[in-house]
Amino acid sequence: MPQASRGRFLTIAGGAVAGLAIPGIVDGAPQAPSESEVAKLYAGAKKEGLVSWSVAHYPQETAEKVRDAFKAKYPGVDVEFVRQTAQVIYQRLSQDLKANVHQLDVFCSTDEAHYVELKKLNALAQFVPVDRNMIPTQFRILDPDGYYQLGTLALVLVNYNPSKLQPAKRWQQLSDPRFKGQITFGHPAFSGYVGNWVVAMNDKYGWDYFRSIAPNQPKINRSIYDTVTDIIGGERTIGAGPDSLSLEKKAAGNRIDVYYPDDDTILVTAPIAVMREAPHPNAARLFENFFYSREYSQVLAKTYNFPLRADVPSANGASLDKIRWTRVKVDRLLTGIPEVVAKWRETFGV
Amino acid sequence: MASKLIFVLALAALAIMVVLPLGWLFYTSLQIPDAAQLSFANYVEAFTKSIYLGPIGNSLIVATCVATIAVAVGTPLAWLLARTDVPGRGALRALIVAAFVTPSFLGAQAWMLLAAPNSGWLNKIWVALTHAEHGPLNIYSLAGAIFVMALYNIPYTFTFVYGALELMPAEMENAASILGARSLRRTLSITLPLALPAIIAGFIMSFLEALAEFGTPAFLLIPARQQVVTTQLYLFFQFPQRIELAAAYAMPLILVTALLLFLQRRLIGRRRFTMIGTKGERRRLTPLGRWRWAALGAALIPSLVAVFLPYTALLLTSLSRAWGLGPVPGNLTFYWYRWALVDNATTQSAIVHSFTYGFAAATIALAIAVTIAFAVTRKLVPAGELLTFICMAPFVVPGIILAIGFYSAYSHKPLLLYGTAWILIIAFATRFLPIAYSNMTSALQTLSVDLENAARTLGAGRVRSLFTVTVPLLRSAMLSGWLLVFIPALRELSCAIFLFTPRTAVMTTVIFDFSDAGNFEAVATMGILIMAITLAIVGVSYRLLGRSLVEAQPA
Repeated sequence: MPQASRGRFLTIAGGAVAGLAIPGIVDGAPQAPSESEVAKLYAGAKKEGLVSWSVAHYPQETAEKVRDAFKAKYPGVDVEFVRQTAQVIYQRLSQDLKANVHQLDVFCSTDEAHYVELKKLNALAQFVPVDRNMIPTQFRILDPDGYYQLGTLALVLVNYNPSKLQPAKRWQQLSDPRFKGQITFGHPAFSGYVGNWVVAMNDKYGWDYFRSIAPNQPKINRSIYDTVTDIIGGERTIGAGPDSLSLEKKAAGNRIDVYYPDDDTILVTAPIAVMREAPHPNAARLFENFFYSREYSQVLAKTYNFPLRADVPSANGASLDKIRWTRVKVDRLLTGIPEVVAKWRETFGV
Repeated sequence: MASKLIFVLALAALAIMVVLPLGWLFYTSLQIPDAAQLSFANYVEAFTKSIYLGPIGNSLIVATCVATIAVAVGTPLAWLLARTDVPGRGALRALIVAAFVTPSFLGAQAWMLLAAPNSGWLNKIWVALTHAEHGPLNIYSLAGAIFVMALYNIPYTFTFVYGALELMPAEMENAASILGARSLRRTLSITLPLALPAIIAGFIMSFLEALAEFGTPAFLLIPARQQVVTTQLYLFFQFPQRIELAAAYAMPLILVTALLLFLQRRLIGRRRFTMIGTKGERRRLTPLGRWRWAALGAALIPSLVAVFLPYTALLLTSLSRAWGLGPVPGNLTFYWYRWALVDNATTQSAIVHSFTYGFAAATIALAIAVTIAFAVTRKLVPAGELLTFICMAPFVVPGIILAIGFYSAYSHKPLLLYGTAWILIIAFATRFLPIAYSNMTSALQTLSVDLENAARTLGAGRVRSLFTVTVPLLRSAMLSGWLLVFIPALRELSCAIFLFTPRTAVMTTVIFDFSDAGNFEAVATMGILIMAITLAIVGVSYRLLGRSLVEAQPA
């Protein structure tokens, strides 16, 4: 903790992080840093020059836009990132941690259970960003201990090609023979979003739901965004996909649309966390803090993601108040994803 | 003294590169997480559960089919180019070199664009022409994966058989014709049996390559809902990580490989023909007469499907703003090249890493290969057989498994290499050490010791004579040995994918990361860049060596 520890930041007492000075932590209860402390983070970050970021939240191009907006706001701090599916970035991180290698600063997975595991390993830093109160109350506190925060709100819903067919209005209809050879999915062993959706379907309809879809021979990819590629490329016509990328592609003139299914859209609260042994501790915190800025929410809105802040309007006027949604709680994800990955293998062969 | 020191250093390097990782791999396979005792429980789990057995069956099917196709196409192709007057032989050989240096996962990406069941360009053309409901091709299938892997394995058989046909003295065949044997009989009773060891070598090489391949199955077989051993090994690395199980699961792959290589030695050993060579009569090329142009057409087919079509698809995609729109005027752009070379720090550093790591790996492998090969061929050390065995051992270890060994051995003290560039450099050097070693051994065997002895008689020490006499004479063999490590290191994926960290990503791992979520343009652009660089290097080396790399490779 080179730069940060020199400041006037208060030191948390007790616990494994004892002796480390972390901005935003007062008397063990997480609190957001003040504006002057953010300025200090920036000064420290400039000396570090770089933040290393693993992200599954959105596609490559959106991540590039987030990077560019951050660099515009904080010149002198570069962002180095890898975009991959949640389980892949998590696998690489655990491989690093096992070897005691610390190269990552900020971890953005779409499987909230990862953060529970990482917390258990004492691999995360407590940090509360400024302006956390600008986001909807119900998602304001994902972790009461402040080890991870909300990074993105995303939906899993029906994606389809409107020029080829009528969408399934309910998830249950995907077993309809008219969708034979038409369906495309991501894989729960790769994509965190797909994992959330599969657990939700399993818990709602039982595993028979997927057994009944299997005769329709869905194409299985890795990422949830492969669903979008398959539909706009003409390879398949319907699937369980994202809202963001599909709406962005639709706006660009591609033949794709989304349908908010009557038996619930799946809402995913994808977290962000700073690694406890981040090699660039100031830049890492500055970057997480940026996620609650207006600029970040504007990038989200522009790319048809839900803006985190209430004062930035969404691109298509979509609002969580108007959608029938359900969310898988983190405790369930913890056991649910490994469970459905095994069942998926039995039913779909991969 | 100095010679001893160099030799000890080379030995230490061998221990780090080969002995430790393979030892750790075996040790890991016996470990049970959170238990002190070693046991065979991982083996029991790996080889009794049906979900783990299925992939083994698939791998064997894929490898057998790939090797069979590669031999069935590569052998006649080699014969056409070596023994007939088919036109354009030089150009055809150059195309085979281009296929040889293309990593098959790039071919897989290209064929996804060409032959995806509904969106593939070839299928679309077919549907447009015939008004059929569906196109005939489906690249997302076992057959599709076999097809792509076979394409890029044909060059092995071709190279081995072509080399054998070139070296075969003309006398026997000429004698057969004098005795009245017709062309077909001559080919079947003389030429083919003499070429058989090369054909077997080609088969085994392709079989092993297909068994160890990770990129193509990951691209094509996940959508096909099929698993092979390497994709299953990849899953063992996913959360919850089962590295111990992965190590156990990998063992049979090593055993199968070792067994095949042993069989090959036995087979070829028995069939070794001592050809009492003369300086060689001129061989007449078989005139094909009116079949010449038909033969050219047939010989072009493998290159058409392995080089022309895939590169066209990749090039067009890399120049498209969005590949789904097809190659229409408004869609053409250099955006992705700017993106890869200027705007994106990750791709820039990956290009630099690929080069520096490849350079370092080739240099290390060559240094070790020269030292050990010199010591062994000149009988300067005891246990030469054992040293040769250690140098060649990585050959039987597929990349993905070598990576597991490296991770097990070097992700903790005392030698914590994981997380640094060194683990990738050493892994690349190790993977391709056998190529450098066999290259150097055969070069040293043909080099007479007289000059070295003369230098020694004049008072030069072992090291001085090595560096002033032997090394300069070996220059061209060393350059080709170096390139034969450098080029595969540049396109290595299956080892790198487990050993890189955010700070040490290389071009192939970046391509893999872009390969999902439909970033076809990014994959195509990086692919074109990696191939442009590789082909430029091959071109320069051809100039320097005065011959093709493929021909320089010993069978």
